[in-house]
Amino acid sequence: MSKLIKYSPWLVHFNTGACNGCDIEVLAAITPLYDPERYGVKLSPSVRHGDILIVTGVVTKKAAERLKRLYEQMPGIKYVVAVGACAYNGGVFKGSYSIAGGANKVVPVNAYVPGCPPRPEEILRALLLLLNREKVAGGE
Amino acid sequence: MESEAAEKATSLIKIPITLEIPIGPQHPAIHEPVLLKVYADGEEVVGVDIGTGYNHRGVEKLLENNTFYKDKFITSRICGICNTVHENCFVRAVEYISGMEPSARARYLRVLVMELERIHSHMLINAIMAEIIGFDTLFMYIMRDRELVMKAKEIVSGGRVLAEFHMFGGVRRDIDDVKKEKILDILKKLEPRLKYYRRLFEEDPTITKRLMEIGILRPRDVVSHGMVGPILRGSGVKSDVRAEDRYDAYNEVPFNVIVKGEGDSLARMLVRWDEALESLEMCRYILEHLPSGSAVVDERKLPRVFPAGESFARVEAPRGELTYYIQHIKGDKPYRVKVRTPSFNNIINSGFSYLRHSIADVPVILVSYDPCISCMERAIVVDLKNGTEKKVTFRDIAMGKVRLR
Amino acid sequence: MLEVSEIKEIEDILANYIVKKDVVKPNRPAFYIDANNIRDVIALLKQRLGDEAIYISNIVGVDKVSDGVIEVNYFIHLIPFSNTIVIKTSIPRDNPKIPSIIDLLPGAYSGECETYDLLGVEFMGNKYLRRGFFVPTDVTSKNIFPLRKDVKV
Repeated sequence: MSKLIKYSPWLVHFNTGACNGCDIEVLAAITPLYDPERYGVKLSPSVRHGDILIVTGVVTKKAAERLKRLYEQMPGIKYVVAVGACAYNGGVFKGSYSIAGGANKVVPVNAYVPGCPPRPEEILRALLLLLNREKVAGGE
Repeated sequence: MESEAAEKATSLIKIPITLEIPIGPQHPAIHEPVLLKVYADGEEVVGVDIGTGYNHRGVEKLLENNTFYKDKFITSRICGICNTVHENCFVRAVEYISGMEPSARARYLRVLVMELERIHSHMLINAIMAEIIGFDTLFMYIMRDRELVMKAKEIVSGGRVLAEFHMFGGVRRDIDDVKKEKILDILKKLEPRLKYYRRLFEEDPTITKRLMEIGILRPRDVVSHGMVGPILRGSGVKSDVRAEDRYDAYNEVPFNVIVKGEGDSLARMLVRWDEALESLEMCRYILEHLPSGSAVVDERKLPRVFPAGESFARVEAPRGELTYYIQHIKGDKPYRVKVRTPSFNNIINSGFSYLRHSIADVPVILVSYDPCISCMERAIVVDLKNGTEKKVTFRDIAMGKVRLR
Repeated sequence: MLEVSEIKEIEDILANYIVKKDVVKPNRPAFYIDANNIRDVIALLKQRLGDEAIYISNIVGVDKVSDGVIEVNYFIHLIPFSNTIVIKTSIPRDNPKIPSIIDLLPGAYSGECETYDLLGVEFMGNKYLRRGFFVPTDVTSKNIFPLRKDVKV
C-alpha cells in the first residue's frame, strides 16, 4: 500500500479558492526551516507524478469539477489531505448556497488538518501520520 | 482593453490570477476570478484583455448580513497575507462612526503588528520574483529568513498568519518585557539579512538583467489608471497613506516615504526592500518608546448597537491603498460595506502596461505589481493559427521556455 | 488633513456645481452634485490640479430602496492636498443612468464595470460594461443584480 510512496511522497497543491492563508503555510512547509526533504517530501512538477493531493480553501461548485478532474488525473496510489477549516466544512463561509461543502463532498479525504490556518509543522505531521511514519500520541 | 489588436496575433496565452476581491453575492471562492489574456504576435505582446466572470468570493453581502463583531473576523479572512490591515481598516471605520478612541499604547501596538506584516509580505513577493526568474536558491534563503518575522508576529499577536489583534477601541493582547526583548533580538538577527538581499537585488546581474527597464510606467499613466502602492512610488509619485492620513501612531513614529524615479520593475522591487528596512526601524522605535497604560479592551463593555453615520477609512496595505466605506443606518448590522483592495485597481486596470514587451517579460511585470501568490497556476497557450492548446507553468513563460513562432 | 484654505480652494473650483456640502468621517469633504454634471466636475479638477494629481480611489453604489434612488459616490484622491474628497450623486432607481468618465480617468474602468454588474447602474459611454464581469452566470441568467436590497440571492 503506502510502502511504494512511503519514503518519497510528492505533493500536488490545489487551491480551490482559499484566502491564501493556508497556501502560504503550505508554501512555508516546503522551505528550509521545516526541511521536508529529509522525509522525501517535495512539490511535484506535474500532476501525473503526484502522490498526495493537498486541498486548501472552500470548495465551490465550479471548483468542484476541476478538483475531481485533478484527482482522477493522479495515478494509482494517492491520498488527499484537506488543510484548514474551510476545506473541512466551509469554515467562515459555511451555509452559503454556492459551496459544495468541504473537500470530502468531492473527493475521498484521508486526513484533515484543522486550523485557520494550521501551522506548517502540523501540515508536515499530518503527512507523516498518513504514511505511518510517526507514532500517534498515546503510545500506539 | 485592446481586443482590436487581437486580429494580428498568432498566439494567445491565458494566465489565471486569483485576487482578494470581496464583492458580489454570497459566493465564496476566488479561484480564477481574473484571467489575463495575452495576445502575442510571435514573441511580442500586441493585446491584453483582462477577462473576468469566473467564480469570485462575495463577501460584501455576507458583511451586510452579520453583526459588526462577526464582520471583524470575516474581514480578516479576505486576504490571509495582509489580514491585519483589513482588520485595522474595518475597526477604524467603525471607530470613526461611533467616536471611540483607542489608547496611545494600543495605537502603537497596532502599528507594530502592521509593520511586521509589511516586512513578511514584501519578503514573500521578492522570493516569488526570484523563483520565477529561476533563482531558486534565493527563494529558499528569503523564505527561511521570513520565518523570523512570522515568529515575531506570533509573539506579539498569538498567530503566525492570522493575527486577529484589533478590537473596537484598542487591541486584544498586550506585550510585556520578556516578549519585547525577544522581538528586539529577532529584529537584530533580521536586519543584516534584509540589507544583504537589498544589495543583491541592486547588484546581482542575474536579477538586474531580467528586471531593469522592464515594464516602465510613466507617472501620468500610473496616476490616471488609479494604480496605488509601490507601483505609484516606484514611478516617482510621492503618495503614501501612512504619511497622508497619519492614522493610529503614524503621527508620532518617524519614517520616510520611499520614492524611486525609474518606474521599471527593478525600481518597484527595490521600493519594497527599502520599505521593509524602514518598517524594521519603525518596529524598533515602537518597542523602545512604547507608552504605558492599558491597551486591552474590556469586550464585555462594548456596545451592541452602533449609531448611524458613514465613514471612509484608508490604510496602507503592503500592496497599496486599501479602503473601507461603511454606511450605517440602524441596528447591529451595517447597511453597506464596500471594500476596495489594492489589487482591484492594480491588476484590473493594468492591461495597458504589457504591450510591446516580449512574452517572457509578462510574468516579471505581473509579479512586480504584487498579485496574490496563487498565480502559480498553469497558464494555457493557444496557437491561434492551428487552434492547438498546451499547458505551461507560469515559470516556464518567465524563463523563456515557451517557444512560439 | 485638509487646511481650511485648501477646502476653500476645492470649493472655489467646483463652485458652480455644488448643491450641498457635507463631511464623511473622519474628515473627508463631501459635495453633492447633479449626476449629469459629473464629467464637467472631473474635467475641471483635472484641468486645475494637473494630470498627475488626481485618481479615482473608489466608486461605490448604495441602494437606497426607501428613497427610491441609488447613490453613486465617487471617492477622488487629490495627491497635492493629501486627502480624499467625495463627490456624491443620486440617480433614480427605476432608470439608473449616469455619464461615464472612463475617457477622462481610465482608472474608473474597474469601478464602473463592477457597479454595473452588481447594482445595474448604466454608465453611458462605457463600452466595456457587461454582465458577468464578476457575477457568475447562474445569477446573471435570472437577470438579478445581486447587491440590490430587494433581491434574495
